[in-house]
This record gives sequence, C-alpha cells and structure tokens, in this order.
Amino acid sequence: MKEKERADVVCLGYFLKKKNLLPYLEFLQKEKGFQVLVPLANSNGATCFEELSEENSKKIFLDSRAFFSAKKFFLPNREREFLFEKKAPSFKVHETVKHRQKVVFGLRSCDLHALNALDKLFLDFYGYDSLYRNKRNTCLTIGLECSKPGKNCFCDSMGTSKPDFFDLFFWEKKDGFFVEIGSVEWERLYCKKFFEQTRETKNKPMEKCGLKLDTENLEQILEKNFEHKIWASEAERCLSCSSCTQICPTCYCFTIEDFFIPCSKDSERFREWDSCQLQQFTKVHGGVFRSSRKSRLRQFVMHKLSFFRQQHSVHLCVGCGRCIEACPVKISLVEIARQIQKNPIGGN
Amino acid sequence: MHDFESPLKPELAEILRVKQETPSIKTFTVRFLDKKKQKQFSFLPGKFMMASIFGFGEMPISISSSPYQKDSLQLTVNPVGNISRKICSLEKGSVIGLRGPFGRGYPIQKFRKKNIVFFSGGCGMASMRSAVFAVTAKKELFGKLFLFHGCKSPSELLFAEDIAKWEKEENFNVFVSVDVPSPSWKGNSGFVTDLIGKVDLPIEDTFVLMCGPQAMMNIAIEKFKGHGFKPEQLYSSLERLMHCGVGKCGHCNIGKEFVCVHGPVFSGLELEKMHLKEG
Ligand SMILES: Cc1cc2nc3c(=O)[nH]c(=O)nc-3n(C[C@H](O)[C@H](O)[C@H](O)COP(=O)(O)OP(=O)(O)OC[C@H]3O[C@@H](n4cnc5c(N)ncnc54)[C@H](O)[C@@H]3O)c2cc1C
Ligand code: SF4
Ligand code: FES
Repeated sequence: MKEKERADVVCLGYFLKKKNLLPYLEFLQKEKGFQVLVPLANSNGATCFEELSEENSKKIFLDSRAFFSAKKFFLPNREREFLFEKKAPSFKVHETVKHRQKVVFGLRSCDLHALNALDKLFLDFYGYDSLYRNKRNTCLTIGLECSKPGKNCFCDSMGTSKPDFFDLFFWEKKDGFFVEIGSVEWERLYCKKFFEQTRETKNKPMEKCGLKLDTENLEQILEKNFEHKIWASEAERCLSCSSCTQICPTCYCFTIEDFFIPCSKDSERFREWDSCQLQQFTKVHGGVFRSSRKSRLRQFVMHKLSFFRQQHSVHLCVGCGRCIEACPVKISLVEIARQIQKNPIGGN
Repeated sequence: MHDFESPLKPELAEILRVKQETPSIKTFTVRFLDKKKQKQFSFLPGKFMMASIFGFGEMPISISSSPYQKDSLQLTVNPVGNISRKICSLEKGSVIGLRGPFGRGYPIQKFRKKNIVFFSGGCGMASMRSAVFAVTAKKELFGKLFLFHGCKSPSELLFAEDIAKWEKEENFNVFVSVDVPSPSWKGNSGFVTDLIGKVDLPIEDTFVLMCGPQAMMNIAIEKFKGHGFKPEQLYSSLERLMHCGVGKCGHCNIGKEFVCVHGPVFSGLELEKMHLKEG
C-alpha cells in the first residue's frame, strides 16, 4: 500500500484520452454524484457554463474561453439570503444554505485567478461571506489550458496566464490531456478507469497574447492620474449600460433588498448584482457621490487596475478581455491605461 | 456542515421606548431578545449598526447611546426614505433586526489627557452624543472639552436635555448654533462653522471629532486647518450608501478604502489621501 502511495506522489499527473473526456465528465456526474458544469455553445452564439446533461453534451465548447465566466455559480445574479418568518409577536430568521457538490470543468487560467481574487475578498477580508463560502467550499475545479488566446486577451500581462488555484488542470496534448494535480482534494476527482500513468509533463504557460499592458507600478501610476483628461473623454462615449461589470469574472458588487411574500406576512431578503456604472449605486439622501459618467467609468477601471491591488496584492483584473468584447462602444480599460502611461499628468 | 454564522444575519431586538426628539426625528431604545447577545454587546462610539425592518430592508445607523449603557442601546432615526420612515412608525414592543457593531469608531483611548472638540451638524449629533457620553463618564482622564453643534432651527435641535446638562458641567464649553433662529432662541445663530475662530480654542494637545453633512465637514476641516490644526488632530465620520456593512457589497468604496470597515471614522491624514470628490 505504502509503495503505491509513493508511486502516486512521484507521478505528478495522469493522462486522459480525448475520447474519454465526456465519459469522464459523465462518470463524475453519475458515479460520484457531482453537479458538473461545463462550457457550452448557446444557440445564440454566446458560450457560457451550464450543467451537463444528455441533451447538451454535444455542445461542449472548448476552443477558447467562454464568453460568460462561471461567476454566476459563486455569485448568482440573484440569490436569497434570508427568509423572515413572522411568528407574532416576533420573527424567525432562516438563512439560505445550499451545498450540492459541484465540479466546474473548463475554467481557463484567467478564470481560476478570478476565483482567487474573489476568494481574497469573500473568504478573507474582515470576515467571510457565508453565501459565497458555502458555494466555494462545495465546488471543485478542473482547469483547461488555453493554447490560442483570443484577440482581447492579455492574461500574460496580468500575470494570470500561469494556471493556479485548481484541483486538477488539463494540459492539451496530442490525443488527450496531461492532468496536473493541484490540491489535496484531487482524489475526489480521480477515476482509475480513465486516468492513465504517464511520462508526459505539463506545457509552458501561454505567453503570446496580442494585447499587452505594462503592469509595473500600474496601480500607483493610475492613482497619480486620477484627474487625467482621458476619463472624461472616454466617458463621453460610455452608455452606463454596465455590460462591462456584468461580464467581468471578478466584478462582485451587489445590493440587498427585501420583498414580502405574496399572501403572507413572511418576507425574504435578496442579494442582486449591482454595478458601479449605475447612478443609483452611490445615491444617498443628500445626492449621488459618483454622479458623472466620468467618475463611474474611472471607478470601474481604477478598481480593476489600482484599488484592489493596493488592498489585496493582486489586481481585480485577470486579463480575460471580456469587458472589451462586451462593450457596445468599444471602451477598453487596456487602452485607457496605456494612454495614461504614454501621456501621464505632468509628463513622463 | 453549517458551522458558522453569517455576519449578515440579523439578530432580533425589541423596542423598549420611543422618544420624539424633534417633530420628525425619534430615538428608539432597543434591547436584543437574546440575553447573552445583549450582555456581550460592546462598541466604540462612531461605530454603526445595520437595522432591519423585515420585508422593508436594512439601513446603517449610528449608536447614539453611551457605551457604558449595558442593558440596551439607542438609535436615533431621521425619516428620509422608506426604511427610516418605516422605523419611525414603529412603537414600543415591536421587534426589529439588528447586526453589528460595524466599522471603526473614534479612537477615544488616544485622546487621554488631551483636549477634545466635538463638532457636529444635524443628525450627526447621534454618534457624537455617544462619544460625548463616553468621554464625560471618565472626565478626569481628559483635558478641556468643547462641543459645537449646528442645526437648521431650534425645533430641529436633537438631545436638548443632554445638551442642557453638558452646558452645566465644569470644563465643558458648549456652543449650539441654529441656521434660522426663532424669536425665543437665545443662543448663537448662523452656520456652526462660522464659530470656528470666534471661540478661543487650545490648538496644542487638542483633537477634533466631527460628524455631520459632508458639506459642513468640508468647510470645518478647512477652517480648523486654517487655524493651525494639523490633519492628524482631526477625525471625521463619512457617510456613504451601505448595503452590507462588512466590506463585501462595494457600495461604500472610496479608492482602496471601504467606509463600512475602514471607516466611517477617518483621520484628517487619511482623508487627505482619499478621493472624496467623485471618488
Ligand atoms: C455610518 C452611517 C451612520 C448613519 N447613522 C444614522 C443615524 O444615526 N440616524 C439616521 O437617521 N441616519 C443615519 N444614517 C443614514 C441612513 O443610513 C440613511 O438615511 C438611510 O439608509 C436611508 O434609508 P431609507 O431606506 O430610509 O431611504 P431610502 O428609501 O433607501 O432612500 C431615501 C434616501 O436616502 C438615501 N440613502 C440610502 N442610504 C443612505 C445612506 N447610507 N446614507 C445617506 N442616505 C442614504 C437614498 O439614496 C435616498 O435618497 C447613517 C448612515 C451611515 C452610512
Ligand atoms: S460596457 Fe462600455 S458603455 Fe457599458 S458601462 Fe461599460 S464601459 Fe460604459
Ligand atoms: S457597505 Fe458593503 S462594502 Fe461597505
């Protein structure tokens, strides 16, 4: 027994044949009882993560990162926090707890780094958030190598092209995947039938994104250029539609609101995605703190590329380029940052 | 599996007393239903609670009572919107939700042996009252005390009875100013910030605590600095929209700071580095 365990440790990975990918995912679903989430091609052309089923298994999409990230499985767009049951003269507070074991397959390096950034905030910043922790603790991740970056990708600039924070990671090989082990929990994903011993090793992380951003000292440079004229000029085009924050795998802001349950005295408290691009986001009794589009666009870019880094040592941007792709007027945070670097207040 | 409590989960609390402070503002004395929770509850003035009216929502609210008052706490509510108005419609015996205390209060320990200037405007008096109680309860530990408070009109004056008591205390100079005086008003009139410079204040070894509308604090900070106060002698409490109170929802973000956890009280030095305007 001991010998065998050691053999496993020496062999830091396994090989999974391409033709066994779907059977393996179905094994996780049917034999291990996981809810398996995979990237799928929608009929409308967008790709997003959904639960694997017999009907959709042919639509698994692995050519590039999904258009929509897997954020909604950790931070759903709308989620119940509490049920308040009226028990006259008082109340009973019920907390929402869900913990169906999940596996997300097909997360790219950027997606994994995005989860790490969210973990920093929701698991370890002035206490944790139990709704997020619930979902995160019951979810295993299987990453997938990106060998062809998209035209808006810049993960190698953001330091997120090297995969990390996964349970398993699949590196693309001829006819299959080299399976790298990333956590102590990987054994829950092990399958003797499909995982073969191998002498293969992992590939080099991808370093050939077309889009580049110099991130050295970027948070300080942006901080010093808070009053740069580019904020106003770019904001002139901005529609405050919040597509950028919705599509972003790390944008997390939310509102909390109560609703009465019809025909009862009970009520529920919901959490819902919000966006710094909307005026109401900072509205108080005396006015709106970020009333101009300029200040709101600046908040988005600064939170991504400056503020979060100052607080948590990583950027809140993982270089996936989704916001650039989703923006109807083609505003790009990379372009804004580069313009500022090229032409900072007070000159270079 | 579920071995932890959410910091968002409201505890139940009962309204023990309701006091009408001004024609619109009311002070609620509340106590947690859970006796252990009430016993363990302690806070530093300047910190705030999240108060829930189930089905209506939650709002941030300062604690206006003394930190030495152990069997209950007080919340002073200005009915400006849905939740605050709903709270003001509640009566003795109603049950609300409460969680907290949250944020960073006034570092009162640091003010030992020093002179303190309390400076508040309007509803800002709520958290200031708690700070004044904390300091006056141990008056021998502090130097000279000053209170400046401004409000719109004499009928809008909060905690008039407490103020009358403080006026009689030794070593405590109290100045109240109303924007629009009534015929019977005997005190100061005009903006409370106009009093800065007119009253002789010690500058050395003095700390200023501020809470009130942003516009008032901006003017006050500039005036205090103009009279020789250093930014590190000034502390002021910021107001932002808050949904969670625990650094997660993002609403109260200013630069790298989150007002709900890093504030609401910030020192003048910290404020100088923050993007307070449109930030
Ligand atoms: C740290 C802190 C301490 C506070 N202490 C007190 C207090 O002791 N007593 C008191 O009466 N109020 C206090 N407030 C302000 C109070 O939280 C708001 O007035 C309240 O949230 C308004 O909620 P509402 O549902 O009644 O209003 P809504 O119906 O939500 O809105 C009414 C108006 O109030 C605005 N508003 C919503 N949230 C805030 C907010 N956080 N600050 C200012 N305006 C807001 C809305 O945008 C709108 O313009 C405090 C706020 C903070 C951040
Ligand atoms: S997606 Fe583009 S237009 Fe819409 S809010 Fe973001 S930057 Fe503005
Ligand atoms: S109130 Fe939610 S982050 Fe501060």
